[in-house]
Amino acid sequence: MRRARARTDAVAALAFLAPNFVGFLVFTAGPVLFSLVVSFSNWNLQRTLPFQWIGLENFRELFTDREFWFYFFNTLYMMLGVPVAIAGSLAAALLLSQKLRGMIVYRTLFYLPTFTAGVALMILWKSLYNPDFGPINAVLNACLHAVGLDSVEAPRWLGSMANLVGLHPEATGLTWKYWGLGARDALILMGVWTAIGGNNMLLYLAALSNVPQELHEAAQIDGAGKWATFRHVTWPQLAPTTFFIVIMSVIGGLQGGFEQARVLTQGGPAGITTTLAYYIYNKAFIEFQIGYASAVAWVLFMLIFAFTLVHWKLAAKELNY
Amino acid sequence: MRAFVISFVGLVALTLVAWAIRPGAGPAGKVPLVWVSDDNPARREQIALFNRLHPACDLSLDPDNNGMEKVIVQSVGGVGPDLFDCYSPFQLSSYVKAAVAWDLTDALVRAGVDVRRDVWDVAKAYVIYEGRVYGFPTNACTDALWFNKEIFDQSGIPYPRAPWTWEEFLPLAKRLTVREANGRIRHFGFSFDSWAWKFFLTQWGGHVYSEDGTRCLVDAPEAIAAVEFMHDLIYKHKVMPSPSEEEALAQQGGWGSSTIKFLGAGRLATAIGGRWWLCTLRNYEGLRLGAVESPHGPLRRYWSYARATLVNQSSPHRAEAVEFIRYLSGPEYNRLINQQADGLGPTARYATGENLVNPRFPDEDFHAVFRDVMAYGVPDETSPFVNAAVVDLILTKQLDLVRRDAKPPADAMRTAAQEIRREMAKTLQRDPALCVRYEALTGRGRP
Repeated sequence: MRRARARTDAVAALAFLAPNFVGFLVFTAGPVLFSLVVSFSNWNLQRTLPFQWIGLENFRELFTDREFWFYFFNTLYMMLGVPVAIAGSLAAALLLSQKLRGMIVYRTLFYLPTFTAGVALMILWKSLYNPDFGPINAVLNACLHAVGLDSVEAPRWLGSMANLVGLHPEATGLTWKYWGLGARDALILMGVWTAIGGNNMLLYLAALSNVPQELHEAAQIDGAGKWATFRHVTWPQLAPTTFFIVIMSVIGGLQGGFEQARVLTQGGPAGITTTLAYYIYNKAFIEFQIGYASAVAWVLFMLIFAFTLVHWKLAAKELNY
Repeated sequence: MRAFVISFVGLVALTLVAWAIRPGAGPAGKVPLVWVSDDNPARREQIALFNRLHPACDLSLDPDNNGMEKVIVQSVGGVGPDLFDCYSPFQLSSYVKAAVAWDLTDALVRAGVDVRRDVWDVAKAYVIYEGRVYGFPTNACTDALWFNKEIFDQSGIPYPRAPWTWEEFLPLAKRLTVREANGRIRHFGFSFDSWAWKFFLTQWGGHVYSEDGTRCLVDAPEAIAAVEFMHDLIYKHKVMPSPSEEEALAQQGGWGSSTIKFLGAGRLATAIGGRWWLCTLRNYEGLRLGAVESPHGPLRRYWSYARATLVNQSSPHRAEAVEFIRYLSGPEYNRLINQQADGLGPTARYATGENLVNPRFPDEDFHAVFRDVMAYGVPDETSPFVNAAVVDLILTKQLDLVRRDAKPPADAMRTAAQEIRREMAKTLQRDPALCVRYEALTGRGRP
């Protein structure tokens, strides 16, 4: 009787799972595997070339493709904001975990950018970054004027090819001419602003609420100050959450930059805000080189997978679950 | 298990309800036609006129799926539109090669439409590919020089007259470039959209490809001279905004290019642009415009362009789609588009004075200019040996570097030429049939 019941339950469970599982197979796993197969072909949606299996040719070409490496560099550069965003999320979570009146309102306000439409935010930021009439440069110019630096020009933001390392726009070397804040940095700042109050903050809030109160009390009894308590009690307790956030942020960073490039910069000026995600889009849907785009997508996947594996191995030694 | 059965039956019931109340394809008894095109203020009137003339059809606009990538991907997936726009000869070749565009040659003969005889010469490359006809142009255009009469009057400068050269134009443009006391610009003397760089290339005698398409020529002295002149307009003569200054002037949203908006807002005294700009510029209150044939370089000829509409090979309503193509060639559509000023109507013989002037805008005294410059129009160049989308990306990047003064024009064009040649070699390496064709044309092996 019990076995029959168990079997009926199992069938019901499988039946409930089936639609989702079939959906996953058809719409996720299937296309992913299809893209792997296609990456070994010269498939071109325009049919300018007869379809052929070309083995590892796409991958071989990719490693000598200067554009791929340049856009990979762009992607890594854009990820400079990741640690800042994580630190900002933690700081916001620490602030919002205080027991104050109206805290729910503050938390909602901080989370607002996450559920606001991305395109709307980007158009707003485009106005903020207007070099002559935008409020950001208005404030910067006022500050520069206040300290007597009128001759220093505020950044041209989205229209500028300047960057923090002074890299030439074609990556042919470093030069002072391109040192400063430019389009890449503008996108980083926007990303940090969005990420600080996002899901990472919620994860840290949840993690902070799980830190045993008695640990804090014990630290206080031992005479620890606020910083020492955070450094030696709270922070270690947050390690598993931080580990998860770092992994997810790096994955997001390596896959990111598409919306910003599409809406704000079209990958420019001169390709400096084109990330690998936007490059894949261009290859697949502007140049119609589906085979090559699939190869780039799989190399990106392998990079992400390798990073996650290394990070997991290194962090596992430090973490206890 | 009972819970599953109840849920399943409930979901099936909901599905049936949703199916029963789904929105219909169109009014009952009418054949629905979907046209993928850009949503500009003129398009809806063009659709309304077609629906009025063809009561059996219900044509609707789908602006969200505009773009070659979407049309090809959707059509390959079996959910493409019935009609879609084509913006370049390269796009036409792509649609044909992707087996998306339907060969209309015989259908148009039966419908009494003669593309070769009726349409502007510059528009033919947008619908004829390897001798076969795949659509009909929706408009055609050769740019001219727009000018803001208000700024000319304020500066005490008489309105320009053609024909004239860039050397004659430059002193005028310098006088028309005015800065405020704080250094901010009041209005620039001149500008053009960066994508229209071939306008200059043509006048300097430059080419993107050789006539047979086997060689890339963007590093030829003529092409470099054209790009140098464009660079000088910004950095030597200082009559045109740099990209950075353009971005500072930019406004958000709306239809049309940024140069149109700058002209409309009185931030430019003159600009190279098409007649279709009027679709936007007519909305600017109190804007007094004039137009004159553009100044020319060593050659008096101008890059021209068009837009065409093609029929989807897998459309279930191809017969009705052909009716739409016939409508594009007819007097009603041509009169409407000529009066809307959405470029010039595709059929050359309807571009008469009577048809071009819109009675709602009696002050517009420049329409004949846009018709007359069509005689100097030069169509876009393509090569079968390289993917034009890749070429566009390469050139856009290099020209962006030039416009931002990050690279000398000669270096940029040499880099572009090298990259295009590399791309050409790659294409030939992968396509033996194309390689044979290349060898037959050049008498030598692939590069």
